[in-house]
Amino acid sequence: MIDQTAIITGASEGLGKSFAIELASRQINLVLVSLPATGLPELASFIRKNFEVKVNYLEIDLTLAESYPAIFNYLSDEQITAHLLINNAGLGNWSWFEDLNIGFYKKQIELNVITPVLLTRLFLAQADVSATSYILNVGSLGGLFVVPKKQVYGATKSFIRYFTKCLQLELHGSNVKISLLSPGGINTKPELLVMNNKLKGISKATIMEPGHVARIAVDGLLKGKKEIIPGVVNRMLVLLNSLLPAGVKEIIIRQRLATIIKS
Amino acid sequence: MKVLVTGATGFIGRQLTLSLAMQGYDVKALCRNTDHPYLIEHKNIEPVTGNILYRQSLGRAMQGCQQVYHTAAMAKMWCRNPDDYHETNVVGTRNVLEVAAGAGVQKIVYTSTCGVWGPTVKHPMSENDPRIAGFPIAYERTKYLAELEVQNFAKQGGIYIVTVNPSRVYGEGPVTESNTVGKMVSAYLRGKWHFIPGNGEQVANYAFLTDVVDGHLAAMNNGTSGERYILGGEDISFNDFFKTVHQVSGKQHRLIHLPLKTIEFYSHFEKLKSQLTGLRPFFLPEFAERLKYDQKYSSNKAITQLGYRITPFTEGMHKTINYLQQA
Repeated sequence: MIDQTAIITGASEGLGKSFAIELASRQINLVLVSLPATGLPELASFIRKNFEVKVNYLEIDLTLAESYPAIFNYLSDEQITAHLLINNAGLGNWSWFEDLNIGFYKKQIELNVITPVLLTRLFLAQADVSATSYILNVGSLGGLFVVPKKQVYGATKSFIRYFTKCLQLELHGSNVKISLLSPGGINTKPELLVMNNKLKGISKATIMEPGHVARIAVDGLLKGKKEIIPGVVNRMLVLLNSLLPAGVKEIIIRQRLATIIKS
Repeated sequence: MKVLVTGATGFIGRQLTLSLAMQGYDVKALCRNTDHPYLIEHKNIEPVTGNILYRQSLGRAMQGCQQVYHTAAMAKMWCRNPDDYHETNVVGTRNVLEVAAGAGVQKIVYTSTCGVWGPTVKHPMSENDPRIAGFPIAYERTKYLAELEVQNFAKQGGIYIVTVNPSRVYGEGPVTESNTVGKMVSAYLRGKWHFIPGNGEQVANYAFLTDVVDGHLAAMNNGTSGERYILGGEDISFNDFFKTVHQVSGKQHRLIHLPLKTIEFYSHFEKLKSQLTGLRPFFLPEFAERLKYDQKYSSNKAITQLGYRITPFTEGMHKTINYLQQA
């Protein structure tokens, strides 16, 4: 088998870091992309030492327009062809719309929408047509359900859902496989570790560990699955969502909203 | 000089109070109950009633203290109230730091754990390596969150603070609930330990208590503020662990290799049992998962920068078994 290389955005922490470990354990070389001062050099050297794969890294801000070509210029300078693109970087929020400023939403839309679209475009332009290329777009179950306090985040993930599904049609029959990952909650950042641990019942059952999600996602991606929903409980929720009439769903969400406002 | 030790009845804390007292420090030993059987009596040790969750009691305990060793933590495998981990380890640590800053304390050593790294891949982990797994184990999760509190505190400057990360600590001390090695060895000596998990080749790092206590003192005196130091020992597999216990004690008991799948299945049963009955589980799924991985750590930074020394495992186990057989 030829040497494969994966680009992972948002690789320094959480799910991105788990993707790095998972792909490295499958002997895939890595190009890690994250903000400066997020521990990328240490992660890269750890992976090189422990998994014996090639690891390059770029410490850049993906909300800057010059960053997108910079990644691929770097690859061509290093004579690396990427076979996998993991569009993982993203910015979440759980707050009322009027509680955050316009700068936050601009950054959130740039990172969650513009970045994956442009990187996908540039990735396809450099892809080796004789080998299979893989793109994984990290969406969210939030792209499927309307969840209060996730207005912009959920909308960006709906965008990713449409974008991915449409590209799957366009690229059908080509040598490019593109998957949508729709996870529920994942125990990643410190704030989430605290918040998720306070959940009870079904909400708690939807939360998964990043390493587990990454393993399921990479399995699905390499098999060419169109949509990957990790976890039995999450798959049941999606099924339920498709069965319930719109009116019933609205009642449930309104009731949820009422309890959120009270708390 | 006056120093405060939190968690003075704990496995590390009690030995630390004794070591400090023998070196001539005036040691204030913070404990929730000053009648605790593990509290050491010594002319230089002054028991102080207090609780790291009550800031007032911390303020009283820290009066006149120049140094604080914060060893208190919730290190058990299981708590009836799962919020106790966060309360004790995260909120408690925040309290200690903030009260110390107000009380004029000059230096703090915070006792963390190698559990903030958890599983390892091929080579032993050192201080700059990343954590590769998630945080399903409450102890590790909350000790990680507590380290973030310490890092933020260190960034503010002003007070010297060093973090030490002991690995799995064993040695001459009481078989407390969080003293995993003590529980295993004393059960083996009584012929009540029957299993080796999986093929027994999984490796963990075992730190001898005396080394860890010396490492705390060295961190206080020779560390660099804001840094972390792994205080470990030798990397030993389960097979070698029990081989050593057998050779040192002269007692041979048959041990059965229990497949990891069986342990995993049983752990789910135990979890359900504890959820339904509120009884202490013998084992939990997050620990069964961990048995698939090595936990190897390198103490090189502490060795070169603090003069940390590692007692050979056989020698340490010899002393431990002597202690347990006399107790």
